Amino acid sequence: MLQLSSPEEKCQQLLEPPYDEMVAAHLRCTFAVSNHDFVEAYKCQTVVVQSFLKAFQAHKEENWALPIMFAATLDLRIFANNAEQQLQSKGKGKVGDMLEKAAEQLMSCFRVCASDNRAGIDDSKKWGMLFLINQLFKIYFKINKLHLCKPLIRAIDSSNLKDDYSTAQRVTYKYYVGRKAMFDSDFKQAEEYLAFSFTHCHRSCQRNKRLILIYLLPVKMLLGHMPTHQLLKKYDLMQFADVTKAVSEGNLLLLNEALVKHETFFIRCGIFLILEKLKIITYRNLFKKVYHLLKTHQLPLDAFLVALKMMKVEDVDIDEVQCILANLIYMGHIKGYISHQHQKLVVSKQNPFPPLSSVS
Amino acid sequence: MNETAMSVGWHQSRRGRGHRHKEQGRANREQVVEQKAEDSVPHGTCMTMCPAYELRQREAQNRLHRFEMVAGTERDRLPSADVSRAVKEYSRPAAGKDSTRASDLRPPSVLLKTVCHLVDEIAASSTSQPWTEVYSFVFDRLRSVRQDMIIQRVSGPDCVAVLEKSVRFLLYASYRLCGQQLQYFDPRINDTHLQECLSWLLESYRDGKHQHQEEFQALSLLYNLGSSQANTHVLELPERIRSSPAVQLALAVSRAHMERNPVRLLRLAQRLDFIQVCAVHRHLLPCRTDLLLLYSHGHSSRNCRYPLQRLARLLFLKDALAVQLCQVCGVNVTEEWVNFSKSSFTDTPSGDLQCRRMHEPLDDERWNCSAGSVIHGCV
Repeated sequence: MLQLSSPEEKCQQLLEPPYDEMVAAHLRCTFAVSNHDFVEAYKCQTVVVQSFLKAFQAHKEENWALPIMFAATLDLRIFANNAEQQLQSKGKGKVGDMLEKAAEQLMSCFRVCASDNRAGIDDSKKWGMLFLINQLFKIYFKINKLHLCKPLIRAIDSSNLKDDYSTAQRVTYKYYVGRKAMFDSDFKQAEEYLAFSFTHCHRSCQRNKRLILIYLLPVKMLLGHMPTHQLLKKYDLMQFADVTKAVSEGNLLLLNEALVKHETFFIRCGIFLILEKLKIITYRNLFKKVYHLLKTHQLPLDAFLVALKMMKVEDVDIDEVQCILANLIYMGHIKGYISHQHQKLVVSKQNPFPPLSSVS
Repeated sequence: MNETAMSVGWHQSRRGRGHRHKEQGRANREQVVEQKAEDSVPHGTCMTMCPAYELRQREAQNRLHRFEMVAGTERDRLPSADVSRAVKEYSRPAAGKDSTRASDLRPPSVLLKTVCHLVDEIAASSTSQPWTEVYSFVFDRLRSVRQDMIIQRVSGPDCVAVLEKSVRFLLYASYRLCGQQLQYFDPRINDTHLQECLSWLLESYRDGKHQHQEEFQALSLLYNLGSSQANTHVLELPERIRSSPAVQLALAVSRAHMERNPVRLLRLAQRLDFIQVCAVHRHLLPCRTDLLLLYSHGHSSRNCRYPLQRLARLLFLKDALAVQLCQVCGVNVTEEWVNFSKSSFTDTPSGDLQCRRMHEPLDDERWNCSAGSVIHGCV
């Protein structure tokens, strides 16, 4: 009987402001949710958060209300999601609008937490920062405004609490900054963050571990570390199996086939473009094989052309081979130079194909 | 227990649907649209290209553009307005100014006719005025057309047609006026408007079927070459559109760019049609210098030489231009040979090599002939 459509009066009788407004809105919200009206639920929840924030700000040097803030803001984001989906199915509403507004509210909460300089560490509202940041990350990733993550990352980096938040919160945080680093092509950093997230993620959270792996795998592959078959099987990520095999064998044909076969999955996860970057690694592995086969440090360019043609890379000629080799040399994957006159690739006698992990 | 939203909505990842461009567009649009309730969207009733009130006012204040004057009256103290050629100009929204008077707004059908007039009679006709003047006029009047569309929240086929012609015009202009002095053509301003039109257009494509969608998805990808968001957007398109020849070619160019294979990129670029070249051309000079960079490292050796003619062919430049490009980038050229050295390549080019120099040479007459068909899209 708590699901009332107009509980304001009752609340005003029993509670002091702003709690009366907050509870009334909460009750209206539960009513809306029971009717599956998420647009209305979202509107009510914004009132809940706003009135909560008024109370929260008045708590001087106390942070006991943090769990309420967590619950209220989480619901806000979830309702915003649901509301948008409802509107979309009716063909109305601009995608991302409600989530952006929710983000603005979360930012207000964040500012209250971040500016709590007076309280001692045990009573500080700063303990709420990472949770809110994680919620904001989720929104920014969803609406594809990753650049808005930067100031939040800076805030945490400069905080002295950053290593003391709960493991769960830190795992989530590192997951998102890891993905952001991937987006910024900072693969070494991405590996660091995502690896942390993966190892510290509780073993019972299989779904989350799988999610992290989806992003960790391409990064590790770019750095030359291929996953084992067992790992892929364990986390139901066999889509990566062919990709892994292709890259380590230098098999461009198989790589292209694997990318096409699981295109939908890779695109949906947002890693298709990064996996395409594995092509250069695959070229490197293929050409390394040629080097080992010919056992000379003066390799005829034609040999590479033949190798590519064997991989069914049809529309490539000697000029493109030179370009690919030049790129590999520029990136440090091959130590040597091309002599056009002699139509040869001359490689260093020492370690001409440095290990992938040592190259930027 | 707190269910993480990662599981709730994450499959609806909307990455790369041109959101970056949308951002700018949305901000601009929100400035123009005043806070009106949903059900009081203005509907224009002005059936001429220029509202009567504005026409009288501008004529009286001698603020007509040359292209709007009755022929022969241009040199008069107060030139006469030609009703059949006057076009509503863009005016910045301001406090106290009501931009929503129905008599000042043109309905979608009139807007489309206006755009056709601008393209056929102004942009594509061989006027005696320099094309920079043509650009300035058409740019402004197209902006006003878009403003009318925003205020009236126009959508649908007329909106799409207007945007398509606007995009083609702006792309064409970016190529034709490339290298002009800033006061006549500012590539950054042109780019801002182009991105706004493109993102609006691509958003419009989400509903219903559109005849030219493949063409414009391809143009958007080519114009934004190198942008992972533009790429992801195309990858998420329906199979039917993605597999069209235009989009496939654009994707191939994009792949060559991502794989950093300028030899392949420049070769593929030869297969682009004129408007596609307009879209991609600003990326071609950086692509050529990148080729020189890669070769400077890959062929770096004191004793080896690379034939100049072959290099010029790879760059798709005349020999003389190839030599100039090499010199600007610090690549040593002597007569018929190029000597690559990774230490001599310079990132900060000395001297000035304009993109314009590498365009196909076309005299003014031929420029004007192609303009109409290019912008209307019936090449």
